[in-house]
Amino acid sequence: MITSDVILKSLNEVGVTVLYVLGGTVVIEFILWLLLVRLLKWRYAMPFMLLTPALIGLLVLVVYPLVWEANLSFMNMSLKHFRNPIYIGFDNYIRVFKEPVLKQIYFFPLLGQTVLWTAINITFHVVIGMVLALLLNRQMRGKGIYRMLLIIPWAVPQVIAVLAWRGEFHYEFGFVNIMLKALGFQPLQWLSEPVANFAAMCITNIWLGIPFMMVILLGGLQSIAGEYYEAAEIDGANAWQRFWKVTFPLMKPVSTPAIILGTVWTFNNFNVPFFINQNELETSDILVTGLFRAAFQYNRYSFAAAFAFVIFAILVTYSIVYLRSSGALKGVRD
Amino acid sequence: MTKKFMPVFTMILVLAFILTACATPTAAPVATEAPAADATEAPVATEAAPEPVTIVLWTKEGEADGGLQYVQGLADAFTALYPNVTFEVVNKEVETLREDFQTSSLAGDPPSLLWTVSDHAGPFTTAGLIQPVDELFDMSKYVESVVMNGSTWAVPISSGNHLMLLYNKSMVPTPPATTDEFVEVAKSLTSGDVYGFAYNQTEPFFANPWLGGFGGSVFAEDGVTPTLNTPEMVATMQFLYDIKYATPIMPLESDYNGADTLFKEGKAAMLINGDWSLAGYKEALGDNFGVAPMPEVSSTGMMPAPMTSGVYFMIPVDLAGAELDAVKMFVEFVTNLENQTSMVTTLARLPGSIEALSIDAITSDPILKASSEAMTYGTPMPTVIEMRCVWDSWKPEMISMLASASGTTPEDAAANMQAAAETCIGQLE
Repeated sequence: MITSDVILKSLNEVGVTVLYVLGGTVVIEFILWLLLVRLLKWRYAMPFMLLTPALIGLLVLVVYPLVWEANLSFMNMSLKHFRNPIYIGFDNYIRVFKEPVLKQIYFFPLLGQTVLWTAINITFHVVIGMVLALLLNRQMRGKGIYRMLLIIPWAVPQVIAVLAWRGEFHYEFGFVNIMLKALGFQPLQWLSEPVANFAAMCITNIWLGIPFMMVILLGGLQSIAGEYYEAAEIDGANAWQRFWKVTFPLMKPVSTPAIILGTVWTFNNFNVPFFINQNELETSDILVTGLFRAAFQYNRYSFAAAFAFVIFAILVTYSIVYLRSSGALKGVRD
Repeated sequence: MTKKFMPVFTMILVLAFILTACATPTAAPVATEAPAADATEAPVATEAAPEPVTIVLWTKEGEADGGLQYVQGLADAFTALYPNVTFEVVNKEVETLREDFQTSSLAGDPPSLLWTVSDHAGPFTTAGLIQPVDELFDMSKYVESVVMNGSTWAVPISSGNHLMLLYNKSMVPTPPATTDEFVEVAKSLTSGDVYGFAYNQTEPFFANPWLGGFGGSVFAEDGVTPTLNTPEMVATMQFLYDIKYATPIMPLESDYNGADTLFKEGKAAMLINGDWSLAGYKEALGDNFGVAPMPEVSSTGMMPAPMTSGVYFMIPVDLAGAELDAVKMFVEFVTNLENQTSMVTTLARLPGSIEALSIDAITSDPILKASSEAMTYGTPMPTVIEMRCVWDSWKPEMISMLASASGTTPEDAAANMQAAAETCIGQLE
């Protein structure tokens, strides 16, 4: 239970950390000021001083863990070599492709599951998000209320929403099965039957992801000038032609980054597949949950580090290929 | 307006942090049901008042069955005796505790003391994360503990941790003695949303006793080679499949909490659960609560063999100095006769100290008596690291086989879990 004592203690811990950060920043800025402003009288002293705290933060929180992880991926750290790991070269990178990454499943089937999971989710996110955005992008009564209701899934913290959904997929007490029974269907074993569990994961993530896509696409729709539609109407275009020939191409600068972001987030989504797959079915695992299990459940620390870099390489490649083929950043480069 | 208030708001926030950072936390609340901690009875290893320390204690005991409250009560009672020693008691689910302890040890910031199950000793000793306790305590005072490589690695708090058959006397007046009888009774009681039987179908720990009943075991005689692809395992899987689909006597899907709720609500007549749950059911069902060993497997004439271990203290390898001294005193305090007796009556668990095994509270209580009997059919839980591979390999295959549409046969499941366990053991290097 959260008592006032617990709250005070938490605030105490946070407060001390914040004070350390503030104190550290003041000391660093003072040293920089002495060095760059007073001593060297450098003309870019001020921008450098402003950037320094963020630079230090990035070095400590992003660069250092990445270097540490890269180093780890060339070692043999596991429970048996926990305190004294040795370097073994690229062995872990080879193992990622040659050995089961979990108990049974190999890398490529797991990648296949991840791609399937991403494709299903993104398709539904974009299609339903676009339909809802189109519905909201017109004159109607109570538009604000509809928009607010549709954004609610986005406002709920993801873990809370996922755990609530998992409860709803409970065979005995869950809302989904109660509804199925009321409609005369057989209840499903959502948490233990492989296909049903994968479907449960998708349903949850589709519900969670639609508001983001809808809001972004709605923003894009509102930026399209009405003249294009008037011109198309004068030319005799019907509703579908107006959507396909006007809306769709003009939405590309907005939808492309949204789809790339959505794809990377879904590909790397941990909370939904991990918590809905309560029973650790390998058929419901995706690359990142597999990575977590390899590292923290099966204690293959160095293997997991190599595995993480392989996933990173896949996502970087995807992003570059998609950006190039869609030409979405053309305007930025020009 | 907003611009005007932003600096004020920022100032207030910074001030709040400064004030809370400087504040002294108030004393911990006294537990409503503190364990016996008579101020006149000092712990056995009393040398001198310990230096001021805070013991960070991670426990697997949860709130639901009163375990966490009991641990907190012990900590408060110890602090009352020795005000210099304060506690931070943190509850973690069993597997989370193992994962977090490994991660925090890697980061160089482990807790001071663990209150956990014996099978964690395997990974912890392999990784060199806990220290032997032979030199710290007189181990002859305790029941058999976790011994590996010639050293003892844990101090018993309670013994047992074994599974047994729990039944609701208003539905099952006499517990079934054989599996045939068990299925027959459960079948007659299953109707609508009431089931004859429920158990945690998702954890192999709950299926394992049946493997013993069918004559199998998880390891060969060397104690590390998995023997999962055997006729005995196939028979076990077939039995579990049959009671789910062929008979059927239980819900199609139930995890620990689902089975627990059904039993507490009187919607499941029989349940398999462990000694840690007895106090909660005693409270929920009162006189209708009955305990018995799991029924003999009719086809083999053998009793199911639940794994026995217990709950133990484990001490991180680098703990030393004043903190270690305080931890030693606390461990002796928890396992003294008075507190062990209090644990038996409060949590209905069998004690870890030999002296407390013969107290009246055990011999006169029908539930504890039946629990002791069920424990006699048990087999010690292997503490080797390979056991982890067995559990991790068994679980997904069993769940897949028990899912109606998966098409996995008991034979497939047994073969797959053996292959997975062998892969896992190979990957330990």
